[in-house]
Amino acid sequence: MAWPKALVFLFGGLFLQLATVAAEHGNPAEVAATHGLPSAAPVIFHIGPLPVSNSMVLTWIVSLLLVLAVRLGVRTIKDVPDGAQNFWEWLVESLYDFLGGIIGAELVHKTFWFFASLFIFILATNWFGLLPGVGSIGYGHPTEHGFDVTEPLLRGANADFNMTFAMAMVFFILWTVWALQANGPVGFLKHLFGAKGGLGGFMGFILMVVFFAVGLLEVVSILFRPVSLSFRLFGNVFAGENMLEAMTHLGGAKLGWLTALPFYFMEILVGVVQALVFMLLTAVFTLLICSHDEEHAEDGSHH
Amino acid sequence: MSHLLILAASDAGPVAEIAKTFGANVPALIANAISFLLVALILKKWAIGPIQKTLEDRRATIAQGLADASRAREDLAVAHRKSQELLVETGVQTGRIIEESRAAAARVTEIENQKAIAAAADIIAKARHSNDAELARLKAELRQEFGRLVVEASIKVTGKILTLDDQKRLAEETQRQIAA
Repeated sequence: MAWPKALVFLFGGLFLQLATVAAEHGNPAEVAATHGLPSAAPVIFHIGPLPVSNSMVLTWIVSLLLVLAVRLGVRTIKDVPDGAQNFWEWLVESLYDFLGGIIGAELVHKTFWFFASLFIFILATNWFGLLPGVGSIGYGHPTEHGFDVTEPLLRGANADFNMTFAMAMVFFILWTVWALQANGPVGFLKHLFGAKGGLGGFMGFILMVVFFAVGLLEVVSILFRPVSLSFRLFGNVFAGENMLEAMTHLGGAKLGWLTALPFYFMEILVGVVQALVFMLLTAVFTLLICSHDEEHAEDGSHH
Repeated sequence: MSHLLILAASDAGPVAEIAKTFGANVPALIANAISFLLVALILKKWAIGPIQKTLEDRRATIAQGLADASRAREDLAVAHRKSQELLVETGVQTGRIIEESRAAAARVTEIENQKAIAAAADIIAKARHSNDAELARLKAELRQEFGRLVVEASIKVTGKILTLDDQKRLAEETQRQIAA
């Protein structure tokens, strides 16, 4: 009986708080909307000519923590693992098996370091961005709705388009290298524009024209992959941070933590899902260009 | 150009507007790319690479251990079979050796018995011979003593002093009669 009473008290208090905010400042949604995250990460200082944004600071902090965690965990690798080495081994082995099942043993052996780094880095930055203080401590000015932080000292790394686009571009460069290694320059072009099916004669000519057109579309699709990859991740994280901020303001000074709490759990999940999606999409793009049509045909004949 | 134009577009147009809206710029892009690449390379060198090697080594060690265990089991089975065969063979050989030893022992016993019997017979014969010789010597001594006693008795009874020849003759007569 204690739990229902506590819940009634909690939600009653929340309702009263929202009502108070509404009475003092108007519609709570309007109040929340005034505290949105800026779409561009603000520059907080310069190192020489290089502008340093708050998201870059968070990137460096996460990078440093990751490096420290790695050094502490697997500085001396033991045959019988214990402590943090167990965790790192579990993470690496799980990811390796997971990716190996999707893109194959040969390709995963070659590309695993990048996809695993991508997943670990995106996940770490996503989750670190959820810590209290990220986005809420910084420079600002008092407003009628409370103190408005306009230049937070830290910002979710993937809530900065530069970060997500940088990762996508790094992938695009590596994708090109792996594609050329797997197919060779001529094979790469044949993979994109070559006619499939092995038909000759007039039908073969028609197919060649069709597949060339398809290849052009494929090139456009490939060129837009970094854009779609980066905007997908950026959009999800940016929207998540905006939502958390809006929910925090919606609850007011006293109960802001409560209104945001369910969305924190959701953002924890979104952090994993987006890291997984980014890694899986890049892995599948790599698989598509590195796999040969003959192999597919052989696989198809076995099935 | 202060903002990155995605896909090398010109400063004007919707792409440049989007880049400006989201704060995309070349220095930040390069700095972020370098940050990510550094983390990726550090993870590769210090975490993913060594862990992958450890996992592969461990898989190889486990596979080797299982293969060794399997081979050891096979070797053990072979050794067990060989030991059983050796035990059977040894049992047969032992039985044969025991039989041979028994036969040899019986032969030796028989020979030694024969030797002992012969030695005993020899000892008995020698003892008899010695007894006979002793008996003869005693008998001779007894006759001599008896002859001497007869001579002394004759001297005392007759009061006659007998000559040496008489004594000798009387003794010899007595001995002859005793021997008869």
